[in-house]
Amino acid sequence: MSTVLHFPRRGLRTLTAIQAKLLLREPAALVWLGLPIVLVVVFGNIPAFLTPAADLGGKRVIDVYVPTLAAMVPLFLACTALPMTMASWREKDVLRRLSVSPVPAAGMLAALVAVMAALATAGVAVIVAIGALAFDVSTPGNPGAVLASFVLGAAAVLALGLLIAARARTGPAASAMGVPLMILNFFASGLYFPVAQMPHLLQRVCEFIPFGAVTAAWSGQGQLWQHLLVLAGYTAVAGPLAARTFRWE
Amino acid sequence: MAVIEVEHLHKRYGHVTAVRDVSFQVEQGEIFGILGPNGAGKTTTVECLSGLRQADGGRVSVLGLDPVRQRDELRQVLGVQLQSSGLPDKLRVREALELYASFHRQPADPVELMHRLGLAEKAGARYKKLSGGQQQRLAIALAMIGRPRAVVLDELTTGLDPHARRTTWGLVEQVRDTGVTVLLVTHFMEEAERLCDRVALIDRGEVVAVDTPAGLAARAGQRQRMRFRPSAPLDEELLRALPEVAEVAWHGPVVEISGTGNLVHAVTAQLARAQIIAADLRVEQASLDDAFIALTGHPDTD
Ligand SMILES: Nc1ncnc2c1ncn2[C@@H]1O[C@H](COP(=O)(O)OP(=O)(O)OP(=O)(O)O)[C@@H](O)[C@H]1O
Ligand SMILES: [Mg+2]
Repeated sequence: MSTVLHFPRRGLRTLTAIQAKLLLREPAALVWLGLPIVLVVVFGNIPAFLTPAADLGGKRVIDVYVPTLAAMVPLFLACTALPMTMASWREKDVLRRLSVSPVPAAGMLAALVAVMAALATAGVAVIVAIGALAFDVSTPGNPGAVLASFVLGAAAVLALGLLIAARARTGPAASAMGVPLMILNFFASGLYFPVAQMPHLLQRVCEFIPFGAVTAAWSGQGQLWQHLLVLAGYTAVAGPLAARTFRWE
Repeated sequence: MAVIEVEHLHKRYGHVTAVRDVSFQVEQGEIFGILGPNGAGKTTTVECLSGLRQADGGRVSVLGLDPVRQRDELRQVLGVQLQSSGLPDKLRVREALELYASFHRQPADPVELMHRLGLAEKAGARYKKLSGGQQQRLAIALAMIGRPRAVVLDELTTGLDPHARRTTWGLVEQVRDTGVTVLLVTHFMEEAERLCDRVALIDRGEVVAVDTPAGLAARAGQRQRMRFRPSAPLDEELLRALPEVAEVAWHGPVVEISGTGNLVHAVTAQLARAQIIAADLRVEQASLDDAFIALTGHPDTD
């Protein structure tokens, strides 16, 4: 309560703007945002990826990869950019200095999440637009379900990334937790190996990993409400936990 | 009215007692120094009164606020420069000031502050590219950006070259001249002597003495020492006859006299009567340094 009274709203806006600027000054931002976009363009120019394939149920490889590449953007940002930024600030005592200013912990996290969410939205929009306009990729299944699961999925991984960000003491510690989380999500989303070709049990397990649930919702696999619930659950648990356990030093 | 009140502060880290029993009061408008050897508990003390750590015992009040319970209100009126703190490498000076300004209800003007602290031509420079002195000036600027009524500066000049240190001292005096109460942690005696109205000497978590720098030096004893080269042969007995003189020793052509009271005056008057000139005269008064060693029983280990 008092936190809200004593911390001007202007502060949160400036903090968000500065965090966005700093992030874009990192060369790694090119990887987080640029790589998935480059991959869509590259894949879209491989002729074999543009012809329907029988083992994909008549879909083209590009149809399968656009959603997966779109998922890479929030995953890169949530699992690496977010925790590593915060951990390096902690390591360099940037957070210590902020802790004697009027910024509340929740404000710090909120600003960083806002930046990541905005960048993720922008990145995904570009990829989807390229896919739709240049390579004629159409949204699979039910667009409402796709959008809902994608937004909830991004929120879920951001919340998990935030939890790492709240705790990790150093940059390497943050990537030691964030990178496996990212790879797990890539795996569950079928980046390495199509989910449909996995053993049944593994497919079920994948549905409980955020981007596995997103992919399942996307392809109409299993119960939609169950996937959305899983995703919302991650956010509801990890988000507040991050704010509560935030470590300034 | 006291701006900062610390009463019987006690703070442990696990088994280590960092602050055993510290009490002092900082009055409105003064520069109050906390002096002490490494590990004495200086930083822990200021962290407790900045609301960064919760005390295990005792009472702390800053500008009438409880630093832990009223932390958010305190942040608006107390500026803090921590001993270890940083900024993102790629943050520019102007951005840092604008960012911290936005956290306060009535901030100072970042541009004016940059001019006052000699950072104007570095406005667009990244934090990492600043020299140590410039980083410290930025630290002062950030502590001042919220127009605080009091500031805590922990080891402001450690790691600066003598020139930058002197410039920084001037800035601290400027801060005080705008009516802001300053709590300064240091282990440079010279800094305390030059800047502080009063000093608390802390050793092993306890206050050894609170006094003016001159008062502390006086407690270390009235002993003074003078050395000079007499222009003509000097009869030692003339000097020993003076009640102020305790010892006379020769180092080649140089005589060293130690004693108490108005030693310098008594000796020079005696020399004048004997028509001897004291060449290369040097006088050493008991300094805060001596007080430090006398009162803590060991030299500063830094
Ligand atoms: N976070 C911490 N955890 C455990 N022990 C600590 C911590 N911070 C300080 N200490 C210990 O508490 C004691 C007092 O430390 P403090 O930093 O307050 O001393 P200081 O007077 O500021 O020293 P210096 O002149 O070196 O800055 C030391 O023994 C130190 O090792
Ligand atoms: Mg210290």
